[in-house]
Formats: sequence, structure tokens, C-alpha cells
Amino acid sequence: MRHLRLVDEEPADGPFREGPLPQRLPHGRHGIPRKVVHDHQRVRLLTGMAEALAKHGYAGVTTTRVSKCAGISSGTYYKHFGNLWDCLLASYVVTSERLCARIEAACAERDPRSAPLEAGIEAALEFCAAEPASALLLSTQPPMEGGAVVAARRQLIGRLAGMLRKSRDGGGEGDRPPGLDERMIDATLAFVGARVSAGQAERLTELGPELLAILTATRRAA
Amino acid sequence: MRPERAAAWEALPVESEVQTTEVEAREGAMEGALAVAGQLGYRAASVRAILDYSGGHRRQFYELFASKEDCFEQAYSAWIGRVGAAVLEAAVGAPSWPESVQAGLVALFRFVSGQPEIARSLFVEVQVAGGGALSQHDEAMERIAEALDSVRDRIEADQAPPASTGLFVVGGIEACVCDALTAGDPQRVWDALPELMHLAVGSYLTTAAAEAAFEDAKAVLEREGDALRGGEGR
Repeated sequence: MRHLRLVDEEPADGPFREGPLPQRLPHGRHGIPRKVVHDHQRVRLLTGMAEALAKHGYAGVTTTRVSKCAGISSGTYYKHFGNLWDCLLASYVVTSERLCARIEAACAERDPRSAPLEAGIEAALEFCAAEPASALLLSTQPPMEGGAVVAARRQLIGRLAGMLRKSRDGGGEGDRPPGLDERMIDATLAFVGARVSAGQAERLTELGPELLAILTATRRAA
Repeated sequence: MRPERAAAWEALPVESEVQTTEVEAREGAMEGALAVAGQLGYRAASVRAILDYSGGHRRQFYELFASKEDCFEQAYSAWIGRVGAAVLEAAVGAPSWPESVQAGLVALFRFVSGQPEIARSLFVEVQVAGGGALSQHDEAMERIAEALDSVRDRIEADQAPPASTGLFVVGGIEACVCDALTAGDPQRVWDALPELMHLAVGSYLTTAAAEAAFEDAKAVLEREGDALRGGEGR
């Protein structure tokens, strides 16, 4: 399956790929290479986007609020992104990549006796519980203005549906109706988003067995 | 300018039959708020744009509503109630649970494909509006989920699906509707009818029931698809 690349991914050896992100780099003459500063600002803006969206919703998210969450000036914001939606798209794509990578790693590292679907659900819920702002970013329906984000969301859903198929029968459609797995992922995102919106992010991991039961019920039905 | 209202929704129950100027102005502005937000997006839906659509006056608007937000919220309350009632009413009349699910989906899709701008406000732009409208949205989704859950009476306790199944299915249906609306192709929701029937019925009942519901929905689309998409037989 070909994946449309909407923005450049964070390089695997990039300075901010893993680990805690320092909130601010030192001011003044610090000798940190310009590219590192640039990348640091960009990652903070992507994180700030998710935080601002979680805090203010689509109703109140603005470039000023994203900049404030990121601890970056509005002028610097516009050196990285042309408008609010560019930043939202980049944040969505990078967060999608991180979620998918987490699920793939959990499935690859799982005990061979356990089901890949169970490992995948557990990893996804842990990700969402640890990062509720990211969970809301990925699960909330974007408005019309965010047209490219709608496309990115479809891409994420297609990718997660592919993982669901792979966990079942190695990736084939079998005799299942086309599109059913995508609908199940749609429903799963809504399921997770509703709980995060209700302030229940910390309890998401407790929902693993219930989500597994729902997904396997619909799989049995196919 | 305000277009002709789609025929199917003339039959929906309205709050009052009394045709006073104030009631008409209120209804017109409320419909305008949803239609304009659906066309332009909630952020861009100004009071001026609403009045351009509904044909009212600014002073009268502010006599009726405190703000654009107030108008949208009142409109949202009225319309989500109407649509929810139409979906549940269609479902109640069906002879079996799978058929009631299908009838409810058909009623919903008729609204979505017949009134896409208002539907876009109800299902997509409500995320931007937030506040009271979003709370009403969530309550409406819970009512639909409870209606789906009515089939539990006929399921053995040891076969009962998880408690969240209703909200899970409703979330899947709504995401499908939002996809079609944000893509600017509301008619596309009809294509998803069979797989959504499979998802809904398969989440509660047996393999055979899910497959039968899928095939039945496909047959309905083959038999009546053009009429459903074109708005006949509403």
C-alpha cells in the first residue's frame, strides 16, 4: 500500500525523535546549530497545536494560542507554517505516524502466544492515555476549513484498518465486506475520543478488554 | 438567498404551527445559521451572512438572539431534535430490529443527502461551535445508542455485547456521515449503507444476521438506490 506523504517525517536520528522535549532552549549565544533550533521550534509547535486544540477546541484554536502553548512567538510561528491549518496538518500527520509506530512496535514485540489485535489495542490505548491531547487531535472530526486534515484522517484510518486486517488474516479482505474494517476504525476513534473528551483519558487502558470484545464480535460476525 | 426547503423536511414536526412574523423570523434565522455555517464553516458564518440568507433585519435578529452563538445553539437544539425524532420514528415502525436499524439509517441518509448544509452544521461544524450545541449533539448520539441497545432484551445474558457497543456503532455511523459531508459528496453516504448495517447488526447479533442485513441493504440500494439518492419516495 502506498502512503501519501503530506509532510516530512521526523528523521529517525533527529534530535527530538524520542525522549522528553526541553521546553525552551537557552537564550542568547548558545552555540546550538541553527537547524537544531529550527527543528526544536517546529516540534514544540506541533505539540503546542495538539495542546491548544485540546484546551480550546476547534472553536477557539488560533495561531496565537498555538504559539503560546509552544512558548514561541507568533513571528516564529509564521517562519514554520503559513497558517493554522498547515500546522494542524503537520501535527496530525506526525502524531499519526507516532501512533502507528507504537502499535507496530507493540505487535512486533508481543509474546507470540498473544493475539496481535490485543497487543495493538493495548498500545494504542496506552498512547492515548499518556497523550490525551494527541488522542483528541486524532479522533475529533476536523471542520471543513481543515480539508487536508480530513485527507490525513482518511489515510490514518486506512492504515489502521490495514493493521486490523493483518492481525486477522495476514492482510487479506477474506469474505468481509469492503470498507467494514475502515468503519470499525472510525467507530474506535469516536469511542476513544468520546472518553477523552469526557475527561476519562486516565482510564482508557481499562477499556482494552471491552474494545477487544466489540472488535472481535464484529469480526466473528463476518 | 434562502433556497426552497426540501420537501421531505416540510413534513417534519415543527415547534409551532403559528405563523407569526416573529416565529417566521426566528425560524428563518435559525435555519440560516445552520445553512450558512454548513456552507462557509462556523467561524465564517457572520450575522450578516445569516441575514443575507434568511432575509431578516439586524435589529430584529438581536431582539431574538443574544449573538450568532446563541442563534446557532437554539437552531442546533431545534434541528437535532427534529432529525433525531425522524430517525427514531422511522425505526419504530419497522417489523424487526435489523429492519428498524436500516429504516433509521435511511431516514438519516435522506436528511444528509437532502439537506447537506444543515447536516454539515449538525455533524461537522458542531465541533467548532462547541459549548451547548456540542452537549446537545452528544446527548442526541446517546439517545440513538440507547435505541440501538433496545435489542439487548432479545440477547441471552452470556451473549450480551459490551456496554459501549451502542456508542461505538453510532460513532462509526457518524464518522461515515461526516466523511461524506466534508468531502462535499453527501450522496456517498448511501454507498456505506450495507457495511454500516453489517457493523451495527454484527456488533449485537450473529454472523448470519449481519450477513443478511448486509445483503438486504445491498438489495435495497439496487432496487431503490436511484429513488433514494434522487429524493423520490420520501
